[in-house]
Amino acid sequence: MTLPEVFLIVLGLGLAAGIISGIPAMLAIAGVPFVVAVLGSLVGAFDLSFLKFFPARVYGIMSNPLLMAVPLFVLMGVMLEKSRVSERMLQVLGQMLGGSARGMAVSVLLFSAIIAASTGIVGATVVMLVLMSLPAMLQAGVPKPLAAGLICAGGTLGQIIPPSILLVLLGDQIGNTYLEAQQRAGNFAPDAVSVGDLFAGALLPGLMLVALYAAYAFTVLTVAGRAIPKAAPAARPSLAVVLNSFAPPLLMILAVLGSILAGVATTTEAAGLGAVGALMLAGYHRPGAGRWLVGLGALAVLALLMLRLFTDGRAGPVMTALAVAMVALLLLGLAVSVVKLWSGGVLSAASDETLRITGMVFGIVIAASMLALVFRGFGGEETVAHLMENMPGGEWGALLIVLGMVFLLGFLLEAIEIIYIVVPLLGPPLLGGDISPVWFGVLLAMNLQTSFLTPPFGFALFYFRSVAPRGITTRDTYVGVAPFVVLQLVGLAMLMAFPKLATWLPGVLF
Amino acid sequence: MRDIVLTCARWCDLITTLVCAAALAVLVGTVLAVVLLRFGFDMGFIKLQNLAGYAFAVLLILSLPYCLARGGHVRVDVLSERLPPAYLRRADLVALVCFLVPVFGLMIWAFLPDLRYSWAIREGAIETGGLGGVYLVKSTVALSGALMIVQGVAALLRPEPDGPAEPS
Repeated sequence: MTLPEVFLIVLGLGLAAGIISGIPAMLAIAGVPFVVAVLGSLVGAFDLSFLKFFPARVYGIMSNPLLMAVPLFVLMGVMLEKSRVSERMLQVLGQMLGGSARGMAVSVLLFSAIIAASTGIVGATVVMLVLMSLPAMLQAGVPKPLAAGLICAGGTLGQIIPPSILLVLLGDQIGNTYLEAQQRAGNFAPDAVSVGDLFAGALLPGLMLVALYAAYAFTVLTVAGRAIPKAAPAARPSLAVVLNSFAPPLLMILAVLGSILAGVATTTEAAGLGAVGALMLAGYHRPGAGRWLVGLGALAVLALLMLRLFTDGRAGPVMTALAVAMVALLLLGLAVSVVKLWSGGVLSAASDETLRITGMVFGIVIAASMLALVFRGFGGEETVAHLMENMPGGEWGALLIVLGMVFLLGFLLEAIEIIYIVVPLLGPPLLGGDISPVWFGVLLAMNLQTSFLTPPFGFALFYFRSVAPRGITTRDTYVGVAPFVVLQLVGLAMLMAFPKLATWLPGVLF
Repeated sequence: MRDIVLTCARWCDLITTLVCAAALAVLVGTVLAVVLLRFGFDMGFIKLQNLAGYAFAVLLILSLPYCLARGGHVRVDVLSERLPPAYLRRADLVALVCFLVPVFGLMIWAFLPDLRYSWAIREGAIETGGLGGVYLVKSTVALSGALMIVQGVAALLRPEPDGPAEPS
């Protein structure tokens, strides 16, 4: 074993100890590698000039346009929560499904599948789900561990249910690596892999996971049915109540999701619209004057989206006049909302929460970039690649090793880091063969999702912990999440046994 | 001495809060403007895109000290929830001295050459016709590093018998 390898092991162990010690995780993730690097430089195993790149990498994160959607989605979720829109929505959904703990759990799951699809970011989704659905679930009598498990698992669905940012990055990396590996293997005309392929490929496996989760939650709550205090016999909500609480937020989420899927808006733009939509929804639901103005403004946004969708941007004078009118209505409605929310103190509370959550999410992202830097400085990439080469078992052996390694790395690094390290380094031997790149990509994504869910280092658990009330202990969270990890492994096994799950839909669509 | 540091930290936090809130408002407003202009009138302005990017960058980096001042960074409390509060206090002290100050000190120190150059040429956006002022955005990296250290020190000086604030 060489000296850098010893330090890599020290790094791993130190990191685990640092994170467990109870100091802010971001300080451990950034600080331990720093200290190990300094120690390594003392014996000549590390070149300290590597560390000089840290601020430049931080600035790189700051100027990454993909990440801009994060605070906007957080604001959207916080706003919906502060205005109690989502709470009402979930309650009605729970009542429609029978007002029981079972109904509530299943509706949260469906809800999180929708939310996951619309954000695609683990941190934001978990945080949003805690804020929106945890109180409602506990109130309906869902046991704490199951509620925690459902939220963490539901939050990681964002990784695999398209459109997810992770799949975009994965598509980019796998596309490049596949092309190179195939050409090196002598195939000079391989089919290109697009992000669209991965989106289509991930859809069925993602929905399969939702079904597995639902079946599990349903079974547990049915078995435990007698122990759970029965909620008040649910009066079925009237249609008016359903429409009033449901139609606006659902329409908003569908507009956000639809505009991404239809390709008319980028993720950031859609997230911005979502944040504004949530502001207006909150304004609409606050008692006071000017409700109809807000409602009108919200309708104007939808109309504008429709206009764009159907006219495809070919503006005539009539269209322009219409657009001016709609924008004016929108701005008026938005102004009324902002004034109402400001005077009610909701706006400052929502902004405070958004800033905190943003700081927490990016604290981890920035810290992870320090870790990746030191990992590279110790030659971690080469060490890993070297280990790979000497493994027995052919293609399947290599695949299992890659998946296992990604799983472990998922404890330490952000998804983005992993994708950019693992795929180009470990991918070529696999992607040069006959393995379907789409299948491989979806496997990786699902595997990462599992990793984010696994105690004690899963990122989803950190995010959950940061916003969950003190009443839910870390133990509750771990106990609740364990069965979902098993379900994930079942899902992975099924995907491995039946690659068609991932490859069928893209084959039909494209 | 302690009071001076704490007062200073409070003022720093006030400024951080104002800048962060403004950046968030600008981010939302600019993204909305970009969408409306494109959807309604098929217009786009690079300067507007740049502004959204700057607002995001400032928001991202300054949200770190904002979060730290409120004890909002995630902790894994598997072990520490069973140990006395004094333990966490001591662990936080070690984390401050060994991790926070060096890492964020590095973030300032190693960035100074870049920053000096950026100021010297009054760096603007890469795109032609883009917005100027990138040197100001870059300065927030060093600013945030300093604020992190101030808030980290203040968090330990603050007289709190139950240990540092926990996210609720």
